[in-house]
Amino acid sequence: VAILGAGVVTPVGSDLDSFWSALLAGVDGTSTIERFPVGDLRVGRGGEIKKLAEVDPRLPGGRASRLLLAAAGDLLARTALPASAERLAVVVGTALGGVDELDLALAEARAVRRAAGALYDAPAHALARSLGARGPVITVSTACASGATALGLGADLLRDGVVDAVVAGGYDALGRFVMRGFDALRSLTRDRVRPFDRRRSGLLLGEAAGLVLLVREGDACGPRLGRLLGHGTGSDGSHIAAPDPEGRGLHLAIEAALAEAGVSASAIDFVSAHGTATPLNDRIETAVLERALGLRARAVPVNSIKGALGHTMGAAAALEAIMCLLASREGVIPPTTGLEERDPACALDYVSGTPRPARPRLSLSTSLGFGGCNAALVLEGVVSR
Amino acid sequence: VSGVRIAAVGLLTGWGEGVAALPADARRAAAGRALIPLATPHLDGERFRRATRECVLAVAAVEALRRDGAVERATLAGPDTALVYVTASAYGASNRAFVEGGGTGSPLHFPYTAPSAVPGEVAIEYQVHGAYVILLGGAAAALDALWQAARLVARGTCARALVLAVETFDACADLYGRGRWLVGAPLVETAVCALLAPGDASVSYGPPGTPSPLEDLVRTRAGETLAAGPLIALALARDCHYDAMRLSGRWRDRRVALEWQRDVAPLAG
Repeated sequence: VAILGAGVVTPVGSDLDSFWSALLAGVDGTSTIERFPVGDLRVGRGGEIKKLAEVDPRLPGGRASRLLLAAAGDLLARTALPASAERLAVVVGTALGGVDELDLALAEARAVRRAAGALYDAPAHALARSLGARGPVITVSTACASGATALGLGADLLRDGVVDAVVAGGYDALGRFVMRGFDALRSLTRDRVRPFDRRRSGLLLGEAAGLVLLVREGDACGPRLGRLLGHGTGSDGSHIAAPDPEGRGLHLAIEAALAEAGVSASAIDFVSAHGTATPLNDRIETAVLERALGLRARAVPVNSIKGALGHTMGAAAALEAIMCLLASREGVIPPTTGLEERDPACALDYVSGTPRPARPRLSLSTSLGFGGCNAALVLEGVVSR
Repeated sequence: VSGVRIAAVGLLTGWGEGVAALPADARRAAAGRALIPLATPHLDGERFRRATRECVLAVAAVEALRRDGAVERATLAGPDTALVYVTASAYGASNRAFVEGGGTGSPLHFPYTAPSAVPGEVAIEYQVHGAYVILLGGAAAALDALWQAARLVARGTCARALVLAVETFDACADLYGRGRWLVGAPLVETAVCALLAPGDASVSYGPPGTPSPLEDLVRTRAGETLAAGPLIALALARDCHYDAMRLSGRWRDRRVALEWQRDVAPLAG
């Protein structure tokens, strides 16, 4: 399945070019949250987008819909939709949907539109309406692995001939709901986000949206970003809020993605890790990657972009997939912002400090989420000459 | 690539267990009640004391499935079983409790607000490790979920797929009362799970068209069950020994239809 183009809105850049430049520059996009009160929380920082374009207020889903439409605007500024409305699908992943609309719906006794907007699938329908898409409109919610699963389902729709083009990706907005939740879990750090660093002490949340345009390889004409070769998912069956200590679901997801792609682990040139910077995630993910990649594991460059963006939840995997394809095209891998002193227990080749010149053709992107959700993507980039 | 069959269906509704419990006419049976609640079963174990009602109902639906098809726990365990979960709004109760509680309860309350908590508890209970997909939306999303599950089985990605839907309404009945343009009546709480296994039925998207007879039948006999509707349709179709069927459903402004061709016979033994 060909990936023709991408569009993003993130805390470090409101379009693809500024996003990429900021990743290479190692920009830390987290800041004190200004849009809603955080004084009662232990941690009031996150990857907040300070300026976001206004959209039709009649669209349901609140800020989440605005994020999706902003990313779609960036995508459409670069790539024309190649399919008729009837043959165009929207598949997006989210951990939270328009949940902050629920607060408002409960406060306003007659707020019918807000109540419907609080349903997690409202932003996907807002995007479909905005694009004029009349094919399937699918919302995936495998927590923080949602963006990866959405890309996979989008590819499945194309492979089965259900549609001719899919706008796929992920999004999530910062709000009181999710900030309170992670604050209560004590998952947020008062330091900066430091994936795979021995001093890492937790994550910061971020808000973003990332979308790609998928078509069948045979239907692709003109320039493209790359190809989605395979995707896989797996469940931990271990704990609702913590990763499986053995990383079983993630390992199975990686194996499934490699199998669908028809490539061996030894062919992987680059890994975009989930890398949340929680002590547990980074250690478990490292161990799984060592098992999955085998003898070459310590020779494959690995990064995490959550130090730059914060954990953008449903958007994370889509943004990471886009980053993998840009790394191939531009011949350089962005550093892991925040990583300064590698944890001895995390013994992979993490890219840190400065961007690393490289020409990764095949990338592996991994994602984990609440509920024991795991997903992996195998992507092929267009390698620069 | 092969086909699929329905190996078992576990159905719990506000009317009782199985299709036999469904009334001939849900509206008449509701006798003016807007909501037909589903009793929450008791499940032993610390996990189920902290889990949400929706999680408990999901596990109870899998237990009903095991009774229906004489399915051993060991059959479901491992990486060869996929789990596909769909709901329109079963996260609403936990979300609302979290919002109204100011997020001051147990730290674990927040993870249970995620839609993934419901299939997560099923995966833990039955040690399911295979492909894992969660879709949100009403009946249209359930048809997308059935397509995805059938695809996973037919292509050999897994040996079997659990397709699970849970819909609860009690905690947000006032919000549903405001959204009558989105949902019908009576609202009937449902937890339903179907087990798809390799077989000779092909499942594919068809022209959306008009509501299928099965969609109408589910609406008449069960009431408004949102994402659970297409799975109730499977249970009804199996009991009627349909050879081919058209499943359809609508959510928001989108209608979806799946063509299900050939055998839908139950698993023997």
